Amino acid sequence: MIIDVNAYLGHFAFRQLRHNTAASLLLWMDAKPIDKAVVSSASAITYRNAQAGNEEIFEEVKSHRDRLLPFAVLNPFYAGWQDDLRICHEDFGMSGLRLYPKWHNYQLSDRCCLDLVNGATERRMVISIPVRVEDNRQQSWLANVPDVPLEELAALVKACPQARFILLNGLGFANSPLGRKDNGLPANYLIEISRLSALLDNEIGQLIARLGAERLVLGTGMPFSYPDPALLKLEVLPASKEDKEKIGWQNVAQWLRF
Amino acid sequence: MNPTEPQPRVTRRTFLKHSVAATVVLGVAAGRAADRAESGQPAGGTRSDSPGQTKVIDCHAHLNHRSRSTWEADDRKLIEAADKLGIDQLCCSILTPRRPATAEGFQECNRWVEDGMRRFPGRVRGYCYVNPGCRQEALEEIRRCVGDRGFVGIKLYNEYTCTEPVVFPIVELAIELNVPILHHAGHAHHPFEDQPRISDGGHLAVLSHRYPEAKLICAHVCGGGDWEWTIKALRDAPGVFLDTSGSVTDEGTIEMAARVLGADRLVFGCDMSMTAGVGRIRGANLSVRDKAKILGGNIARLLQRQKS
Repeated sequence: MIIDVNAYLGHFAFRQLRHNTAASLLLWMDAKPIDKAVVSSASAITYRNAQAGNEEIFEEVKSHRDRLLPFAVLNPFYAGWQDDLRICHEDFGMSGLRLYPKWHNYQLSDRCCLDLVNGATERRMVISIPVRVEDNRQQSWLANVPDVPLEELAALVKACPQARFILLNGLGFANSPLGRKDNGLPANYLIEISRLSALLDNEIGQLIARLGAERLVLGTGMPFSYPDPALLKLEVLPASKEDKEKIGWQNVAQWLRF
Repeated sequence: MNPTEPQPRVTRRTFLKHSVAATVVLGVAAGRAADRAESGQPAGGTRSDSPGQTKVIDCHAHLNHRSRSTWEADDRKLIEAADKLGIDQLCCSILTPRRPATAEGFQECNRWVEDGMRRFPGRVRGYCYVNPGCRQEALEEIRRCVGDRGFVGIKLYNEYTCTEPVVFPIVELAIELNVPILHHAGHAHHPFEDQPRISDGGHLAVLSHRYPEAKLICAHVCGGGDWEWTIKALRDAPGVFLDTSGSVTDEGTIEMAARVLGADRLVFGCDMSMTAGVGRIRGANLSVRDKAKILGGNIARLLQRQKS
């Protein structure tokens, strides 16, 4: 079993994506094979009204809910986010969020953001935060969006101990408080491995040693990314079969109650 | 600094282990089968079916600078990573930590690469890194490294844009010696502020038009900014090969590069992003024959010193 916590559907404003419909993504998943994926709207990253992207995703995955688990993209500075949160959870059955503080121009420490995190937590929703959408060296002349600094993520997980976070597309955790043992932070976050090394300095191995394999999850970034590099990391990772099972699907299955 | 003692040599067992890994991780066995089928050779069960027949060659790798306390162990980890991923050979350079490199700096780096070639025989091949601004020392160093020490190419970084005349004598010597130049490159829409003289695919295309005989490799398309721009900039420069290395794993990169440039102009590399480098080739929707070319066939041709 493989569950991907980091997948997308829809269009991205700055690059053509392929395999970005439910049908084509599922075919691609079959080929890898990936059993289930958490998906959100790529379009909502640059839509002013992100809820339009959530509505598209809801329609797109309607008949594939056994394999595609939709997450909502919400902007806590946009009018009506409280209604959108309720609709996404109650009407659309979305069990988590993805937040884009740098793309949507707010701070994770802003009151509105904390209100959204707390509101989602009351609904037992998981909050995932991609550190980046694309490599900043290749960004369009129209966009110059920085990565979310790991220290801002650390401050958020500390400020919201009841919340559950999945940190996507990140790197350098081993040198941050988020990747240290006895770091004074609640164990309320999982780290997704798509950009972490499995060889050479083996950041994944370092994190297993410090935090335990229970704190890592597989994500691929598809269809922005080829899924193969992330799957390959899991293959070549010097870790026990049990730990690879945890990372590959068990941890997220437990969090999301698959 | 004196070269270190040789480390364990590659045995038949470890060589076979690498090659078998290649068939598993990269799927090149199928590519070899396709090549054999085309040439009328039997599909299996003969000596020509040996998994070591087509080498997987990483065209862009680095050994560690010895200012790094863990350089020796880290070099070994690179070989171990190659073993795990089925990479038979790594074409390596060492860069000075600070640039522009002095002549003493690049000479020292090249001595360490030569030592790496001795420590990992058959696995590490050397690029001679020079700063074109040190004209005489750079030319002498290239002659020494390629002529006497068995280096297979030249590595140029960002000291100069490759269209600056100071670079031309290096290119002319590369043509004379018939070795490729792996040139650092990138194209961003927000300037690389720390690299004001970085070259991009457009510069390399211009250089190639000036020197059509030169064997140029545009480095790390998957770590050099807007890869779609780079691929399009190289379309009409058949003398420039594209190194697929880098940390960015954007879907479609390899397919677009193969469509626009042709699979014959792509050379596999990791630039130390090991699973990204291998994974994107494994994931690309290309024929096994094209993958086999990218993984080793094309760079093997480039590294041949004899003109065909």
